Amino acid sequence: MGNVPVKIDYRKCNGCQRCYDLCPMDIFVMDESLKMPRAAYQEECGLCGICWMECPKRAIDIIYPPSMW
Amino acid sequence: MALQKIADRVIDTDVLVVGGGIGGCPTAAKATEHGLNVTLLEKSRLERSGKAGQGLDEVGIFPREGLTALEAIKIYTGSGSAAARPGARAYVNPNALYRIFTRAMWALEELERLGVNMRYTDGEYGWMPWGTGAGGRVGPRVELRVHWQNVKPEMAAGVKKKGVKVVERTTVVDLLTNKGKVVGATAINTRTGEFIVIKAKAVVLATGDLERHYNSPTPLSWKYKMGLNTCPASSSGDGHAVAYRAGADLTCMEMMRPGTIRDILLLQPGQFYLNDGISAKVFTATGEETVLPPGPLDYLELERKGLLPLYQTLEHLPDDFQKRLEIHFADEAMIRLKLTADRGFNPRTHRYQVTGDRATRFNNTGIVIDEDFMSSVPGLYGIGECTDTYGIGAGGTATAGFIVGDSIHQYVSKAGEPVPDEAQVESQKQAAMAPLTVKDGVEPMELECSVRQICEDYGGTYKSEGRLREGLRRLGSLRREFLPRLMAANPHYVGRCLEARNIMDLAELHLLASLGRKETRGLYVMLDHLQKDPSLDNKRICQRLEKGKAVLEVRDIPEIKPEYIKENR
Repeated sequence: MGNVPVKIDYRKCNGCQRCYDLCPMDIFVMDESLKMPRAAYQEECGLCGICWMECPKRAIDIIYPPSMW
Repeated sequence: MALQKIADRVIDTDVLVVGGGIGGCPTAAKATEHGLNVTLLEKSRLERSGKAGQGLDEVGIFPREGLTALEAIKIYTGSGSAAARPGARAYVNPNALYRIFTRAMWALEELERLGVNMRYTDGEYGWMPWGTGAGGRVGPRVELRVHWQNVKPEMAAGVKKKGVKVVERTTVVDLLTNKGKVVGATAINTRTGEFIVIKAKAVVLATGDLERHYNSPTPLSWKYKMGLNTCPASSSGDGHAVAYRAGADLTCMEMMRPGTIRDILLLQPGQFYLNDGISAKVFTATGEETVLPPGPLDYLELERKGLLPLYQTLEHLPDDFQKRLEIHFADEAMIRLKLTADRGFNPRTHRYQVTGDRATRFNNTGIVIDEDFMSSVPGLYGIGECTDTYGIGAGGTATAGFIVGDSIHQYVSKAGEPVPDEAQVESQKQAAMAPLTVKDGVEPMELECSVRQICEDYGGTYKSEGRLREGLRRLGSLRREFLPRLMAANPHYVGRCLEARNIMDLAELHLLASLGRKETRGLYVMLDHLQKDPSLDNKRICQRLEKGKAVLEVRDIPEIKPEYIKENR
């Protein structure tokens, strides 16, 4: 994916589901085959940073796409 | 029984609390102490939902030392000046406020019992100084500084320990009423699509406020422009909308407070500097030092002179103050520190852009409640930002929650068995589930963005009759054309469709209610009616749905009850 706010680093992610469990806007889904989260509804993200704050592996980064600069 | 046939699940409970935020959790937890069966409906996850999901840095609504609750209320609602400056507080029900002010200390202890950390440093309470402030502001209340980054996980644990039945990822559809009384609600699990009927003797709405009928302050979050760094899920006005559709009185839906928004990623120093008697410096776009203008018309004047935007700066403040500010940012929403750094903004040296004339996030009021926090519909309660006590903050909301939780058993014990009307359940189910069957329709967020754009263009800070009427016409045709074509590919989008419908209903009510206030008063500006309408002095406009039509009614702002004046605590 290109310029989206939530980026998951799959080298660090351990599939603990914390982001999927806690996101207030429910933008994550769990990929059944990979057992990893995917930010499926990115366009609804309010950048609250809860996934970023709660990720035990620091695998999530939140960035501003240029459209928001 | 037929209800089981319509619904995937039927929950039978004494009290249903809608919204598990800073108000809903205390309500639910406290109500269980009276032996009640309590169900808590949460559209997200209890641990991180609502406005406090990211954390909070200050809380409380304690009368300033030396003031009685009555005196504090008088300053808070600005009694004398209420007629001149309509803000949220001028229209607050003073009786509900009296109960909150007089029980704030009790609520503080209750919060600690619930497992919430109220201490600031070294096990002490962090009472804020309320100086006169260089901003010239003397507050009626005292707040506590708190490290509440984990307030929601703490509350969630406390609520679950009390045996509250928590139903998460579930959005309320509508309230169920029978013979003019509330008998429960319907809801949808937005992950499984399960349609749930909750039979309840009493319902407490604690759903937060309404913000999503306007665009958020810039910068906007990505494609669909959700409010940045707040909780968009808790600002779709679900409580306002379901109460309105159930026939409850709402008030002041025409009001939008133009907030003082600092553009830079919502890093907001807030009240901090005022509490310490230190003022931020304000500059015009041309670099001259000035003060923040009092009202929207003053901003128009500045715009004409080419002096906007204004900038605020804290660069002159000492190092220890800057450090405290950073702690405050980390307590309330840590992500802001990261995003500011990414964008190359240094809060110590850069200037914050101020946009004080845009109708933005703050809808002033909502469901009309009495001093027992009950709405005009029997059995329906409301607390916090979805009610007409808006502006009491997290502390006032939590206090209201404890008060309702502590007293609701009195109503429940004589409410009788809730008997939902099956036809009503059926029609609510059909309305909610319809988007699942629509193909090639409209995405809910797209419709929501259109509603917002209409409010921006035809409502906003600088209103006029002609624009409001055109806005209503556009909203009406948007509703006719596109509401039936709302499409949801899965249950997740059903939730967003429900929000879009709520936002559309309330946006319409907002514009309509604005037509009921043909005057300019304080922060409320009608460009074609630049004078005050004296017939609205000390009045507020109430709105309700009657036979499918919105009815506006001018009523007196409630007076403090004589027994409270006599008690004078």
